Amino acid sequence: MTAVDFLNLLIAALLLAGTYAAMAVGMTVIYGVMKIVNLAHAGFLMLGAYFVYELHERAGLHPLLGVLLAFPAFYFLGVVVHWTLGRGVPVSDTPTLASLLLMFGLWLVLQNVGYLVWGTDDRAILTPMTFATIRFGEITIPKIGLVVFVSAIVSLAALEFVLHKTWFGRSIRALIQNRYSCRIVGIHVERTARMTFGLGIAFAGAAGGLLALLYPFSPDFGRPFLLRSFVIIVLGGLESFSGVFVGALILALVETFSILAVPSSYQPAISFSLLVVALIVLPGGVAGFASRMRSRRAG
Amino acid sequence: MSAAAQSPGAAARALRALPPLLLLGLLAALPFFDLGANQIKVLFLTFVSIGASVGWNILGGFAGQVSFGFAVFYGLGAYTTAVGINQGLSPYLTYPLAGAVAAVASLLVGLPTFRLRGPYFAIATIGVSEATRVIMTNLEFTGGASGYRITEHVPFRQGEHYYTGLILAACAVVVSIAVRQSRFGLGLRAIRDDQDAAADSGVNPYTYKLAAHALAAALTGAAGGVYARYAAFIDPEGVFGFPRSVGILLMPVIGGVNTIWGPVIGGGVYGVIEEELVARFPQIHLLLYGVLVMLIILFEPGGVVGLLQRLRRLVTRSKVA
Repeated sequence: MTAVDFLNLLIAALLLAGTYAAMAVGMTVIYGVMKIVNLAHAGFLMLGAYFVYELHERAGLHPLLGVLLAFPAFYFLGVVVHWTLGRGVPVSDTPTLASLLLMFGLWLVLQNVGYLVWGTDDRAILTPMTFATIRFGEITIPKIGLVVFVSAIVSLAALEFVLHKTWFGRSIRALIQNRYSCRIVGIHVERTARMTFGLGIAFAGAAGGLLALLYPFSPDFGRPFLLRSFVIIVLGGLESFSGVFVGALILALVETFSILAVPSSYQPAISFSLLVVALIVLPGGVAGFASRMRSRRAG
Repeated sequence: MSAAAQSPGAAARALRALPPLLLLGLLAALPFFDLGANQIKVLFLTFVSIGASVGWNILGGFAGQVSFGFAVFYGLGAYTTAVGINQGLSPYLTYPLAGAVAAVASLLVGLPTFRLRGPYFAIATIGVSEATRVIMTNLEFTGGASGYRITEHVPFRQGEHYYTGLILAACAVVVSIAVRQSRFGLGLRAIRDDQDAAADSGVNPYTYKLAAHALAAALTGAAGGVYARYAAFIDPEGVFGFPRSVGILLMPVIGGVNTIWGPVIGGGVYGVIEEELVARFPQIHLLLYGVLVMLIILFEPGGVVGLLQRLRRLVTRSKVA
């Protein structure tokens, strides 16, 4: 492998990592606050993809504008879903069997509604950007990858702002730390949980739209990305926002560079292998590892 | 004195064992009546489903560890039996073998994932089934994606398959009852209710979960084996596919998790639904299953068994009033 090849792969991995982080962050928010493993994440990713696709095909809307619109649309959808299923998804300390199965049922419903509406054919969002590249000497960067990366980073920066500078964001972070203390200081736990669910779904929908710019999709679009989101948040330690970035980067690097060693037909098995390695080597994820190192140094 | 105290208990126990035994006798006698080949087939497939469903419930119900990847064990069992028969093994020898292979596979999944608490296990099971399906799709030895055919040099006898299925289902129920009434089952229930309290009372959650997983996988693997011999042709998409995992999880949820008869009822309901629905609406049966799961969780987490208990309470209350 030449240095140029290496650099090309590295850039591809970095671009992918940004998108992956945006994809997984919605799941982290929901898990952190409600301890719900949102299996329906896959369904919302898929819906996001078709949302952007339909706006692009029917209304001629630019896909990036579609992604932007996906945020409010899916936020609203998430709030409605949480309001409807509210009694089945209580805020709890550990993931319950009921919430797992409920989200699983929701995923099945979303996926198969997708099949009913759009059929089994693969779709793709094609724009003049899709096959364009930017060249720097021998290094080529796919333009669409760069655009998606920048959009993902902008949305994550906006999320960081919300989490740290608004009361809503502060109550989310407080809820992740300790639900009982939140009640004492006057945080409306149920309402914050509902808004958080909306926020998580908003990110799922928008990330689905971004991924649809990169890959063709069908109603089963979300499943491989669901697993990837899991791997990322497990690597990141389930509840840590900075962990999501690290997890996304690790997964993107491993996936991109494994092309050199693993036959492409085995690619889908990679994210799972990484999950197992993460579980054995890094229980508690990168964040847990970092805090262990810190406490060891302090002690 | 002690005999007198025991005898009502023993009588009550015998009385409670009566309906299941009657049902078993009835099912065993059914082929002697003039049933169509199709009805026998539906019953056989239902027995296989019950085997897997009861197996899932030992882990998912008794121990409370939800798995979305039991197709792995079903598929491994199916392939073990298929390869075994083609190598000249007696089919009846391949079923325990199928169970053993599945149990070993369950350890591989459980060893890393049960070390941690939280949702890791449930998450990992989705990945395991995906990875296994991918590997089996690419495995040359078993024909990859194009599937694997079983060639047997004996005439096809539907009755034999029927009784194999019936014995499988009966064995699964017996195992399930035995687990429920044993110290082991009590430990699993303790883990389900409160893992810390269970660990404090001397139950090792890690080994208990591993054992429950292995037992559940063995039953599911044997069910896969019995199915494979009947089908005579298996392919990765069919036995390892995600809908298979969904089906195995769905049956106990419909019938009632964490009960003895819930998974059996669920298997029966599922068998009939599958036969009726998939033929008529191949597109929407998973949609209906999704709606069903959500309704069950929201309104009657006890499934059919929970519903029956609620009805019985209503009836007895109205009698008192």
